[in-house]
Amino acid sequence: MNLILFIFISSCEDFLEVPIPTHKIMSETVFNDETTAISAMTGIYHELFNATFSSGGINSVTALAGLSADILEPISTNNYQLTEFKENEISPSNSANLKLWASAYKIIYMVNSLLEGLENSQNISQETIDRLQGEAKFVRAFTYLQLLALYGEVPLITTTDYRNNALSARNSIASIEMQILTDLNDALIKVNTSSDEIERTRITKFAVMALLARVYCYQDNWEKAAELSSLVIAETGTFEILQNLDLVFLANSREAIWQISPKGRGNILTYPNEGQLFVGTSTSSIKLSDRFVSTFEPNDSRMHHWIGFYSSGTRTFNFPYKYKDRSSNNNITEYSMVLRLAEQYLIRAEARAMLGNLSDAIADIDKIRLRAGLELIVNINPEIGKEALLELILEERKNELFSEWGHRWLDLKRTGTAAKALEPIKPLWEESDLLFPIPEEERIKNPNLGQNTGY
Amino acid sequence: MINNHKSVRWRRVFACCLFFLTLLEPLSAQDLIVSGKVTDGKLPISGANVLIKNTKNGVVTDFDGRYNITAKTTDTLLISYLGYTTLTIPIQNRTTINVTLQEDATALGEVQINAGYYTTTDRERTGSITRVTAKDIEQQPIVSPLEALQGRMAGVEIVQQNGIPGSAPIIRIRGQNSLRSEGNYPLYIIDGVPVSSTPINSYGNMSNTGIDPLNTLSLSNIESIEVLKDADATAIYGSRGANGVILISTKRGSQRKSGLEARIYSGMGKASKKMKLLNTEEYLKIRNEAFQNDGEQPTESNAYDLILWDKNRYTDWQDELFGGTSIISDINLSASGGKENTFFRLGGSYHKEGTILPGDFSYNKVTAGLNINHTSNNNKLGLNLTLNYGVDRNNFINNRSLISSALTLPPNAPSMYKSDGTLNWMDWEYSAWNNPMAGLYNTSKAQSNTIVSNLELTYNLTNSFLFKTNLGYTELSSNEVIKMPKRSYNPRNWEYVSHRSIHSESNRNSWIIEPQLAYQNNIGTGKLDALIGITFQHSVSDRLLMNADGYVSESMIGNLASAEKTIANTNEEITYKYHAVFARIGYNWNEKYFLNLTGRRDGSSRFGANKRFANFGAIGGAWIFSEEPFMKNHNSILSFGKLRGSYGITGSDQIGDYGYMDTYASTRAPGGLYPTQLTNPDYSWEENKKLEAAVDVGLFRDRIRLGISWYRNRSSNQLVGYPLPSLTGFSSVQANLPATVQNTGWELELATNNIQSNELHWQTFINLTIPKNELLEFPNIEQTSYANQYRLGHPLNIKLLYQYDGIDPNTGLYKMVDANQDGKLDYEDQIVILDQGRKYYAGINNSIAYKGISLQFLWEFVKQKSRKDPFPPGFIGNYPKKILDVLKEDTELQMISQSVESYIAYSRVINSTFYIEDTSFLRLKSISLSYNLPAQIMSTIGITEGKLFLNAHNLITLTNYKGLDPQSIGNNLPVLRTISCGLQLNF
Repeated sequence: MNLILFIFISSCEDFLEVPIPTHKIMSETVFNDETTAISAMTGIYHELFNATFSSGGINSVTALAGLSADILEPISTNNYQLTEFKENEISPSNSANLKLWASAYKIIYMVNSLLEGLENSQNISQETIDRLQGEAKFVRAFTYLQLLALYGEVPLITTTDYRNNALSARNSIASIEMQILTDLNDALIKVNTSSDEIERTRITKFAVMALLARVYCYQDNWEKAAELSSLVIAETGTFEILQNLDLVFLANSREAIWQISPKGRGNILTYPNEGQLFVGTSTSSIKLSDRFVSTFEPNDSRMHHWIGFYSSGTRTFNFPYKYKDRSSNNNITEYSMVLRLAEQYLIRAEARAMLGNLSDAIADIDKIRLRAGLELIVNINPEIGKEALLELILEERKNELFSEWGHRWLDLKRTGTAAKALEPIKPLWEESDLLFPIPEEERIKNPNLGQNTGY
Repeated sequence: MINNHKSVRWRRVFACCLFFLTLLEPLSAQDLIVSGKVTDGKLPISGANVLIKNTKNGVVTDFDGRYNITAKTTDTLLISYLGYTTLTIPIQNRTTINVTLQEDATALGEVQINAGYYTTTDRERTGSITRVTAKDIEQQPIVSPLEALQGRMAGVEIVQQNGIPGSAPIIRIRGQNSLRSEGNYPLYIIDGVPVSSTPINSYGNMSNTGIDPLNTLSLSNIESIEVLKDADATAIYGSRGANGVILISTKRGSQRKSGLEARIYSGMGKASKKMKLLNTEEYLKIRNEAFQNDGEQPTESNAYDLILWDKNRYTDWQDELFGGTSIISDINLSASGGKENTFFRLGGSYHKEGTILPGDFSYNKVTAGLNINHTSNNNKLGLNLTLNYGVDRNNFINNRSLISSALTLPPNAPSMYKSDGTLNWMDWEYSAWNNPMAGLYNTSKAQSNTIVSNLELTYNLTNSFLFKTNLGYTELSSNEVIKMPKRSYNPRNWEYVSHRSIHSESNRNSWIIEPQLAYQNNIGTGKLDALIGITFQHSVSDRLLMNADGYVSESMIGNLASAEKTIANTNEEITYKYHAVFARIGYNWNEKYFLNLTGRRDGSSRFGANKRFANFGAIGGAWIFSEEPFMKNHNSILSFGKLRGSYGITGSDQIGDYGYMDTYASTRAPGGLYPTQLTNPDYSWEENKKLEAAVDVGLFRDRIRLGISWYRNRSSNQLVGYPLPSLTGFSSVQANLPATVQNTGWELELATNNIQSNELHWQTFINLTIPKNELLEFPNIEQTSYANQYRLGHPLNIKLLYQYDGIDPNTGLYKMVDANQDGKLDYEDQIVILDQGRKYYAGINNSIAYKGISLQFLWEFVKQKSRKDPFPPGFIGNYPKKILDVLKEDTELQMISQSVESYIAYSRVINSTFYIEDTSFLRLKSISLSYNLPAQIMSTIGITEGKLFLNAHNLITLTNYKGLDPQSIGNNLPVLRTISCGLQLNF
């Protein structure tokens, strides 16, 4: 009897085979075909719009690092999640912090999965493999750059093997920087030179150069920073500083080097998350610090075009108004900006000033001031000294790049001016606040994960 | 050793002698023909079994209840019929024996109980099976058969979550076994065909529980519902038996009933409860108090209710928003008949139920059921075809916030409508409330079609062997369209909203083939039943969810071709295959000792290649000790006594399909793919080990029947997301956790025949369940996402609360205990554990019959604790009357205030011990009165039976709970209180 049963059962094991459902596709299949492999990269671009850290939403780097610096403030003090960032008293269990962290590693997982898939693929042309590898590595480098800037040492994950990764310890800053440079240099060789596409949502060689320029700037490697930003700035057929401030953040604006499209949301809503977060309404949760707004010169046109004022009853506040669209559907007008030309001018200005080339630095900074409707340094203070110029560049960076990707927070950190700028306005300021805490929940699940000092 | 051998040998010799004796015995008696008539006292019973005891010889009575049987003069006749007490009559040389069968008072005795693959009787069963039959179900003015079980069974917890017709109740048989709430559905089997028990997704319905997949069954078409609870009963269902099995059998054509039955009823329903809220005068007093306490001046923006709105206006918003009356009507007809070897039954029904919400909406269903059974002339081949078909349409208002609006709108809020009947937006302009009727014109129309069909073929190979096969097919298709026209919304927002619709479609179909071989023989003084079978099941379910917007005109909403943009959010097709071998051996020795072994080897496509198969099985035994001579001879009180017990392993494969595969899926945005999950090809079944011990006794010639069972179910190998740090890319991976959930409990079922005379019958049935649920083990729980949801050693259904610390004399606000004294109040201070589950629950059913009048009433009692309905600190919005206590001297409430501090204190206190309340309730679940029209008058107009009946549901609820329905705490539409009356005529 048992024997019969056994034979019967084994012959019927085949019965239990189910076909792959149409709404899923096996990983091997994805990377055995050019189109689907490209789609896996497209998926990463889409996810960047939704991933907390890069979304531009309430828990994004833009919002949280803006609060940590002297740019943004929560409107209601009841929002403890946000208040903790503003007071630089982030609790390791802060869930906004965890979401930001987790979403970055999710993107890293997607990149690693794509890279592993490409490694084993058979039917894809070398050209496509190169291009996808380049784009994916760029995204990985970009993500690690954010993590590094916010948390310092973090685990460096370059595979999808969760059994090992789950117990990773933190890697040194040097090794992460090394990985970032390796990825970017590889990307520089592999991604397309051509930027003839109308859409600026895909990584081009210039995006890689622009990010490299930023990395070198963070590393005080001024020759390289100047060299790479110059390469981007030289591409005048593609990029220009738009004189009309209202056009800068539009989809595929000529100032954009890389943007993320709200298309990634995947439904009929088409506004960028920054628009929804910042544009003032009765339910807004974040505003611009009054102190920050007061540092603008009165005739700075950025104050008039990029800052809005909300007033209803006793509720009045300033808000970032770079993005105007907070509720559109079926009508994309703005993309979320990641890299734009103005930053390259500011990087080059700083690099040139650092290298002692003050006159060229002034020319670069004046490019930005000209558009802002400010008087040019070359006219009002052509003999400005190096230190004063660097200070002015830092100030200009603040007023140009505010409420974008936490630039101000990172600038304060890398220039060592955080304490000077923040101590007067943040009573609980400590030097250890420069790094966010490693999320508590991650440390509970991974005993090998250390914590930053001060938490 | 030697002694043992000897005793075995002696037993054999003894058994052989017995065997020969039985062979020899018939030779000493003479054959004769016995005839007679079987009646129930008035009417003949056709189809009753007349059997010669200890043989297989038997006949069935004809239409007039007559029978002829050849027997020996010393034989004894056993005369039985479903639902009647079996009589044992020695022939004693008589040739005419007329018999009157008594209806079986306690529904025990020889009534066949469906155990799924085999049948048993209440007397002989070794497992835990309870049942309800047609008479408890058919007249009830309800939609789903599951509601009929409420309060009637021990160990079966059914919670109707709201009063929306057709919404799925929560059903738990002996508690929650799986940590995943979606892993606790029992297995539903209709006429041998498994039907998915997962509720059907609904987007428009006001409930988020989904639609009950059993709605489309006709209640009048159900013969019985059996619930299998312990390992002995469920292990034969292997991997699908962990959460219990619900077997539904539909009515069959039979020899006994021939003719036409018609039943019609109609009734009305209203919300079973309204909350006591403040009237305008009281409300304004509280509101003014808030401004006074805060020292603030009311302004147009913070006190539009005090300044802009009419202070003399009063609206009972509960009346306005759910105070309607639902009209219920139901018709059903059935015809049955047949001749000799072939019988049929055809039934059809129509049910319509209105809504108590505003608008003209209703629930409608039409069903049809057909059964044909045939036996070949030589009695070898049997064929039984069952078809059940049902269609329902649920038109409903699509506004999820109606109930909470009804409870929180200020009593002086402006009118919803303008004088011309259109929505009034203007007067609501300055309020935080949208007009509560926003969404009034949003409709949801859900429709489903269900077919459950089964063909059962049997063939008697020999006297002992029976071959049987089930061929089942079931299909359920449902679709729902939600229409959202612009005029449902404030014209101010029209630039953002357009005419929209949501479309949802889902189909489930499944076929099953189950060939089986059954063996039955007398071995020694016992009887052996054995069964072996194979199952092949193949199910496909697909789902499509679409959003469409930008219709040009309201009249076009729903026509996808007319939409400006359509987006398919979900479109998936899931295949599930299942394959098993199962077997059962039952041995009954001397009608005294019973042994039942069941087993199943299961394979499921939900697991990876190495983990597809698993074995399940159980052993059950029973001992009818009252049959032992020492009991029989010395006891006049005890008429029946049985001990039984079982132990076994069942499993659960209730988990998503394809989880073990390494896959990508499409992003919502066009053109992208994303990796769906971390892949673990090695996860496997949840295991549920069930242990049961029970005693069943009958006293005073079974006038009192009592059953007490104790059970312990341990569910381990919990299939959950194993938590991982997010740096792996995901926060969990599907895996088996070594966590164990234990359900233990006592169940008591008592049936008493209080009065049993010729004219008056009074019976009482009581069931009581004392369940205990406990998370037994969960290694490293503190490192998982369950850390703040579950506590080791406590039930799964808990809530962690602050310890309330009275009113702070300085601030006048609620104060909580800072348990860890770290100066802040957070989840770490929520250390009081509230068990929100049922402590015990009971049902008391009485049935009284006097001549042609009968009365039945069922009370349901539940002992539980939950959180009270909240009363906020002083903001705009109505409050329960209880808030007026705040004006008293010795109030326990915090002062009325709108300050942020008071709101923070309030949001904490609702998560504190202050808000725990005993929400136990006693509810008159159903009461029904019926009157049999005089048979003599009826027969003159060709009616064999006529009955008038009156039913009421949820008539009385006694509880301390101040909210709407103690059964489902929160802002849910309370269950309806319905009254219906009807007429039944049999021709």
